[in-house]
Amino acid sequence: MTAPLLELTHVSKTFGFGGLLSRRRVPAVADVGFALQAGAPEIFTIVGQSGSGKTTLARMILGMEAPTGGSIHLHGKDLAHIRGTGSRKLFMGVVQPIFQNPFEAFNPLRQLDHYLFLTARRFGDASDQQRARTSTDAALRQVGLSLPEVGGRYPHELSGGQLQRAAIARALLAKPKLIVADEPVSMVDASLRMSIVNLFKTLRDELGISIIYITHDLATAYYISDRIMIMKEGKVVESGDARTVLAAPQHPYSRQLKDAVLVPRFTPHAAVP
Amino acid sequence: MTGAAALAIDAGQAAPAKAVLRVEGLKAYYRTRHFGVNREVRAVDGVTFEVRANEIYGLAGESSAGKSTLIKTIAAAMRPPLEVVGGSVGFSFLTGGTSIHQATSAQLLAIRWRNLSYIMQGSMSVLNPVRRVRRSFEDFAARHMGGRGAAFEAGVVGHLARVRLDASVLDAYPHELSGGMRQRVAIALATICRPDFVIADEPTTALDVVVQKDVLGMIRDIQREMGSSLLLVTHDLGVHAYMTDRLAIMYGGMLVEEARTADLFLAPQHPYTRHLIASLPRIGDDAPRVGLAGSPPNLAAPPPGCRFHPRCPLAGDRCRRETPAMTVHAPDHRVACFAVGGGGGTA
Repeated sequence: MTAPLLELTHVSKTFGFGGLLSRRRVPAVADVGFALQAGAPEIFTIVGQSGSGKTTLARMILGMEAPTGGSIHLHGKDLAHIRGTGSRKLFMGVVQPIFQNPFEAFNPLRQLDHYLFLTARRFGDASDQQRARTSTDAALRQVGLSLPEVGGRYPHELSGGQLQRAAIARALLAKPKLIVADEPVSMVDASLRMSIVNLFKTLRDELGISIIYITHDLATAYYISDRIMIMKEGKVVESGDARTVLAAPQHPYSRQLKDAVLVPRFTPHAAVP
Repeated sequence: MTGAAALAIDAGQAAPAKAVLRVEGLKAYYRTRHFGVNREVRAVDGVTFEVRANEIYGLAGESSAGKSTLIKTIAAAMRPPLEVVGGSVGFSFLTGGTSIHQATSAQLLAIRWRNLSYIMQGSMSVLNPVRRVRRSFEDFAARHMGGRGAAFEAGVVGHLARVRLDASVLDAYPHELSGGMRQRVAIALATICRPDFVIADEPTTALDVVVQKDVLGMIRDIQREMGSSLLLVTHDLGVHAYMTDRLAIMYGGMLVEEARTADLFLAPQHPYTRHLIASLPRIGDDAPRVGLAGSPPNLAAPPPGCRFHPRCPLAGDRCRRETPAMTVHAPDHRVACFAVGGGGGTA
């Protein structure tokens, strides 16, 4: 029995603020538990509105924030025991983030490939510049770009969709087992959104990468998720198979979320050109 | 007798509703001249449409399609380097029937907020953060409503009830209200003078999904009650489907298609519209969706001919050379595409 890829047990995070005497506590995440099995890649979606604690949860999984209660295990190892550069690097080789706004994720003053080469040399297997070029090009081709296309260009010269693909390529350079994507398509144009979403499916099916997809958009969640977890005010209100949950949500809040989705009702199914 | 009456009603329905806004051949470019280098971004390039009385007209398009530039130009709120290069923007309430760009500043002052108002995306930037909500109402509306006083206060409180807000919000500072409440204050503020024309720019994009539907419902109820015209700009086709009577799709600074909203969703003509509608994910529908290859055009150096042709599956030789014009495809349905029989002339 191998240890799960990622296991969260009773994870909580409480933020405290205010003075010494009038300290107030805000529970951002309360008692969340789920597991992603190793060797069974899946797209696990966390849905909730702002303030539901989904981003705090993502930051804890990424090791950017320590839980105040419970534990997070990656391949059976507690994230709290990561100390020092060496184990930190090993951890980042397994878990990689993709952020909401690709324009904020890249340094606007550096050429894009610079950052990609840096990742390839630090986390990939590239020992020199030539190998870094080869592996960067390979990663870019996996997301439908290529090094000649983005090489030497600055972030502002690319469209949001291209840049988000480059961000995914950067994450792939580390050959991760898990990608945590926080609202990856909310800043991407409508005509390019579905190609990014489809890319996640490809990563799961062809590269065997598990993806934690965080969103407030139930329609794309339905489209790509295997499992879904709906959060409200830090607590999990409903979770399970995405099709089952979204077809017939049980919790009143899940139903409220589903009812709030604005669906064009003119057609029973999509118009095909 | 009854026959004549029925005929009159028929004729009344057939006659098109009066246009409140008429935009003709509008061109607005960002022009910069630095160190002898002239740069021109053609953000709005030949846009023609009209918005009728008592309708919600939707404008959809992705970022850099020119939506924001278009509404800035319509509201005559341009700042350099944005310039109006050609065309006109006429409002029915603007005396003299001239373009808003020829109106004097006194004329603009008289119509702003009284006839033409806005609901902006970030309500925090409309409401002055260091003044109570009551002061914002006074700043914007008192001038058009006979000054501040008991009658004005009663009118404001009555109007706030329409967006289900209590009179106590008048004493609050904007930061003390939730995002949904702030946006409702902004809606109340924009509609207090019962304007003829309201521009709503992404009014619910910053709101949570659960709140969004409520706020949209309020905007629609108020619009129907006042009979004003609303220009709703958002990239979210779900919002357009829920709200608008007619919908125009903008791409690369030009309109590519315009139709009654139901027609546009049921029978989209332009390849870009077809793609947008076919790629909408829906709960309960497992059919695979595809993204569109390529990226939106760079408006500083737009492609020759139709601006969509580099990404278009139907593009022919003519599309690479000539720019298609908006032509009538069916009643109330215009499309700018040679490949589907529009664009002027035959392919």
